[in-house]
Amino acid sequence: MDGPSSSAGGTNVEGEAPQIEPTIETDDATITDDAELERTLGLSGGLAIGIGTMIGAGIFVFPGLAAGRAGPAAAASFAIGAVVALLVALPASELATAMPKSGGGYYFISRGLGTLAGAVVGLSLWFGLVFATAFYLVGFGYYAVDTLAELGLAVGGGLVIPLALLFGAGFTVLNVTGTENAAKLQNGIVALLLSILVCFLAYGGLDAAGLVGEPMAPEQFAPLGTMPILTTAALVFTSYLGFAQVATVAGEMKEPGRNLPLAMVGSVLVVGVLYVLTIFVATSAFGSEQLSRFGETAMVEVGRHYLGAVGAFAIVFGGLLATMSSANASVLSTSRAIYAVSKDALLPRQASRINLRYGTPHVALGMAGGPILVLTATGRVELLAEVASFLHLIMYGLICVALLALRRDEPEWYDPDFRVPGYPVVPVLGAIASFALIGFMQLASQLVGVGIMIATAGWYAYYARDVTLKGAL
Amino acid sequence: MTRVLVPLAILEGESVSTGLTALLGPMDVTVLGYHVLPEQTPPDQARMQYEDRATAALTDLATEFRTAGEGADHRLVFTHDREQTVDRVAEETAAGAYAITGATGPVDRLLVALTGDVAVERICSFVTELVGGRGIGVTLFLATDDEAGGRELLEAAGAALSGRGIDVRTELAANEPPFEALIEAATDHDAIVMGERAPSLRSLVFGEEAERVAAGSVGPVLVVRNVEESDGAEANADRLPPSNATADRPATDDS
Repeated sequence: MDGPSSSAGGTNVEGEAPQIEPTIETDDATITDDAELERTLGLSGGLAIGIGTMIGAGIFVFPGLAAGRAGPAAAASFAIGAVVALLVALPASELATAMPKSGGGYYFISRGLGTLAGAVVGLSLWFGLVFATAFYLVGFGYYAVDTLAELGLAVGGGLVIPLALLFGAGFTVLNVTGTENAAKLQNGIVALLLSILVCFLAYGGLDAAGLVGEPMAPEQFAPLGTMPILTTAALVFTSYLGFAQVATVAGEMKEPGRNLPLAMVGSVLVVGVLYVLTIFVATSAFGSEQLSRFGETAMVEVGRHYLGAVGAFAIVFGGLLATMSSANASVLSTSRAIYAVSKDALLPRQASRINLRYGTPHVALGMAGGPILVLTATGRVELLAEVASFLHLIMYGLICVALLALRRDEPEWYDPDFRVPGYPVVPVLGAIASFALIGFMQLASQLVGVGIMIATAGWYAYYARDVTLKGAL
Repeated sequence: MTRVLVPLAILEGESVSTGLTALLGPMDVTVLGYHVLPEQTPPDQARMQYEDRATAALTDLATEFRTAGEGADHRLVFTHDREQTVDRVAEETAAGAYAITGATGPVDRLLVALTGDVAVERICSFVTELVGGRGIGVTLFLATDDEAGGRELLEAAGAALSGRGIDVRTELAANEPPFEALIEAATDHDAIVMGERAPSLRSLVFGEEAERVAAGSVGPVLVVRNVEESDGAEANADRLPPSNATADRPATDDS
């Protein structure tokens, strides 16, 4: 380490220095020199953010795509994703309890590994969330079209992107003007979704196991071999980005030492189990080939298969809510990511301005919403998902490295309430798994991802070369 | 000395009337400046932008309170949840009461509501301390369906207060809607003192009773906290050290 916590310094090209003040963290508030920041999110709020972000993409958009690529073994791909997510969620939990601040992964890495890594991760996190949100919105578009179809309005696939854009713009405006009680709504949506899925999985599971309904000829588990399992795991990893969103609100969580690890690890476990079961049930209903022909909304047909029109409607409705809640949670995380970076003088301070009328960070929300709409317009589901995974996986890998670096010569301020079990094996495996998963992506996604990282490193070199953040709490 | 918490939406220009400042003269005062943010804004982000402005406003207010009487300090909180913040700070400062500011001139007569399941003795000792030998009159108010029992309670409380040299009147509203009767009685008084009550279904639907009284009567309302429930040195042990006001809180009771 560079020494005690006062090592932050330097200025960016506009002469702004990182705003870092000594704070005291208690269970209920963060206390700075002159002010206190209330912690208002409980465990259920944290779980709702984690599960709410994750449950949309994975369950409602991927089954058809994943089954087409890997067959019934897509369930294994989801399981691999869950294991990788868990290997990162544990180190992330330790770091979050040591540094319960806004910004999540960016914060840990900039403090643990220094400004360059921090800048690349922080800015990439912004883009990663933008790509993820665009992906959620396109998924939303498919479900919106299906909803209209279920209601007897067959509008065709041409409306998917326009509807997604419309909702993307709507979210941004809604977030700028202030969404009163959105958190409570989010909790309700997550509870509703979980109940829909549990009912559906219970029935589908019994059927798939041959206890009710007609028996089906079993399909070969991995008809396409093991390589597709890994490439599919890389694709569907987007489904597990939600736990990192919990870390971005770490500064607002009550009893962070207890609630952060529980929310992060808990949401990965809940969602992972649901994903694996869902894929199993879905591939049992149709066989992977037919499932893949249904595309992004294959789950609707699975619902129809088991429970008729009611099942189809429940899934369409669930998919609509889920993709919406993922998109909304990600927009909120994006603006927090931008705030964290701009506070450290890696972006102009102007980016974290709050608007007087609504009290919302309108500049940051605009910096999220604008690019999201551009990317949504491309409609490239797989590319969007993979680039989002790529950028997050880089961050996840570096989170593990940051943990190793911090633990090696524990600085004085480093006092986490939660310590990773199985250190150093877990973070080492987490880092290796995260970086390795990137290797199984399509070349196009890897190129876009690397391009973004080079661009962010270039921005750092131009804008904030003199800023030092390492070890600055 | 009992501490009174005065929560203010500091950045929305909420301020304290001179009448209330003077009334709270004998008490220790903590001015709690808070700013409620929508959930998409991290509290720290607001602090970066507004801290200086809020601190300046708070320092002025605390100075006004100090000029009017006893010690006054201030705290500034950025939050998503006003209730949680007021509760936490009230507990940390061991405040015996909190104030809902309202418009009032010089306070000549207080309306003290004893309606419902409240700690009458603690309210009375708070009022004694508040009046503190000044010529402020007190009207004890009680709305109840049990006329005889109500009269008895009012007389006992009235005797206790007048025994400490306070000009006391009593007012009993039997078989009337309690809230409306209180608001009506408030018209010829300058401020209201009432006890904190446990949250009920009614308060969930219509908002906290004290807030509704404040809105209905326009004047300031002082709410004597229900300390038994939220008290607890043990619960506070891992928080901030409570400020100097804990020592001589009025003795608790269980009436």
